[in-house]
Amino acid sequence: MIFTPLQRHLTSIFLKIFLRDRRSIFFSLFFPVIFMTVFSLASDREQEPINIGIANLSSNEVSSDFVQRLSDSPMFNAVSGESEPLREALLVGHQTMVLELPADFGASPDTVSSEINVVVDAAQVSQLGLIMPVLEQTLLSIEREFRSIAPMFSITIEDVQARSQRYIDFLLPGLMALTLMNLSIAGSGFNVVEYRRKGILKRLFVTPIEPKDFIIAIVFARLTIVLVQLTVLISLAVVLLDIRIIGNFFAYYFVVILGTVVFLCLGFSLGSLAKTQETIGALGNIVIMPQIFLSGVFYPIESMPEWVQPLAHLLPLSFVSTGMREIANAGAALTEIIPSLLGIAVWLTISFLAATRLFLWKEVAN
Amino acid sequence: MPIIEVCELQKQYFLPDDKSQKFFAVNGVSLSIEQGEVFGILGPNGAGKTTILEMIEGLNDIDGGEALIDGISVSTNPYQVKERIGVQLQANEYFDNVSLEELLSLFGTLYHRTINPEALLEKVQLEEKAKAKPAALSGGQKQRFSIACALVNEPKILFLDEPTTGLDPQAKRNLWNLIQRLNGDGMTIVLTTHNMEEAEELCDRIAIMDHGKIIAEGTPQELILDFAPEPHEAPLHGNLEDVFLSLTGYGLRE
Repeated sequence: MIFTPLQRHLTSIFLKIFLRDRRSIFFSLFFPVIFMTVFSLASDREQEPINIGIANLSSNEVSSDFVQRLSDSPMFNAVSGESEPLREALLVGHQTMVLELPADFGASPDTVSSEINVVVDAAQVSQLGLIMPVLEQTLLSIEREFRSIAPMFSITIEDVQARSQRYIDFLLPGLMALTLMNLSIAGSGFNVVEYRRKGILKRLFVTPIEPKDFIIAIVFARLTIVLVQLTVLISLAVVLLDIRIIGNFFAYYFVVILGTVVFLCLGFSLGSLAKTQETIGALGNIVIMPQIFLSGVFYPIESMPEWVQPLAHLLPLSFVSTGMREIANAGAALTEIIPSLLGIAVWLTISFLAATRLFLWKEVAN
Repeated sequence: MPIIEVCELQKQYFLPDDKSQKFFAVNGVSLSIEQGEVFGILGPNGAGKTTILEMIEGLNDIDGGEALIDGISVSTNPYQVKERIGVQLQANEYFDNVSLEELLSLFGTLYHRTINPEALLEKVQLEEKAKAKPAALSGGQKQRFSIACALVNEPKILFLDEPTTGLDPQAKRNLWNLIQRLNGDGMTIVLTTHNMEEAEELCDRIAIMDHGKIIAEGTPQELILDFAPEPHEAPLHGNLEDVFLSLTGYGLRE
């Protein structure tokens, strides 16, 4: 038997305390569910057509046909008009871009290549880099149709993943990692500070309980709670958002359990350092906030500035979320995510040592 | 042999304003408490009462001197001492959302015992509150529950830190009765208090502390004889109306 009767009893008390606290159960599930729903709605939305104004200075058939084709394209929401009013509409944001077809447009298509002037307000078009290729692509294909040139090749995109990746598929493992981090740090850190403030730790220490009994009980109770909460969230994601976890469930939960213990130990360390709820709140934020943005939860670490990446890769949440994502989305086996597991193991050692060193009963109790 | 023997106990803390300086919170305190006594430690706030109790209970490191409980050294065998003592702290909060009987049985487990929560609650007249949560108790009920928690290991010595502070007179007297009953069953009791009436009513012997030292020790009678100021020879009594009446007589006037 791994656990002594004392540790089992204390664990069951911690579980009871949590189960009877309906409000915190609600909030621990409420925010992740809201997050998931919002992001899944956002990622399901189709690309909106681009508002485009066309000032046609030429008046021949070719140019009006060109304008017609552009208007028919589902990529664009085209409006024809004079150049000046369109430019003004661009400035106030009613148009995303204005195309100015020169007077000689299409006059002699076989000899002269004419220049289309694209007017944009770069301040407003944050995705200009995304829109320009689409525009060029559309213009080129219109030109091909026009000249009746058969395209030399066409491109078919074949996804090497077993199925197509939606943003929500990318997001969910990271979101689960983030949730387990928040629940764990709050579960150990905030509770330790609260128990100390109320004098409960001191009262426990009057009895012959040993520090390891207390730490084992609270870690085990919290681990159980976090696993149940994550299971509820993952089930909701599978049922409501049609998420599929490709990899092995045991491997997935193995990473979850390791991650939870890492963050519980970190929480313990913070709870031992902080003397008040305000301090633990601040310390918690210092640990949690950078990881939310740097650990590849919402977007891949590779999309961040070069100089942040090496640092970002070393954060505990990065190892946990990367490991979970590779299992969930790519079906990786545990042997394939050894770098992540090694990273987690190092953090486990660091956080465990910090927790046991810093959690001195006598100082913590007073 | 005394059940508690404290010899030249010392505790140093940093000054709150100047961390480079230390001061003695407890400065060479010696006590000897006999089995079955109710012993009171009195003193103004900051005199070192709680610090002494916490050192004897193993909650606070002993910087100098020695404390023996039932012949066992607190600093070398804290766990054996903890098995023999019951402690009620000044703060008496417990886990939220856990009922009194659940808490008592948890405390039993912490001493590796299986206990009967109802019997303990009956002892402190809280048997109807078995399913209640600590937050729902009144001040006096909380204190009685704290004592019930301190009794789960059937201790030889019970430490009570300001047990009646903040209680109304009824709750206070009720708690005194409980303490006297426990003492009647042979339990040694050490308590701190600011209430002189309480000290006089409950304590067999008293130590008065100030600035980390014991400045007087003895039975309440001895202390009164030795230190109470002499009464004035002919205390003033009566009021102006008595003077008026004695001068002008009691007869009714038209």
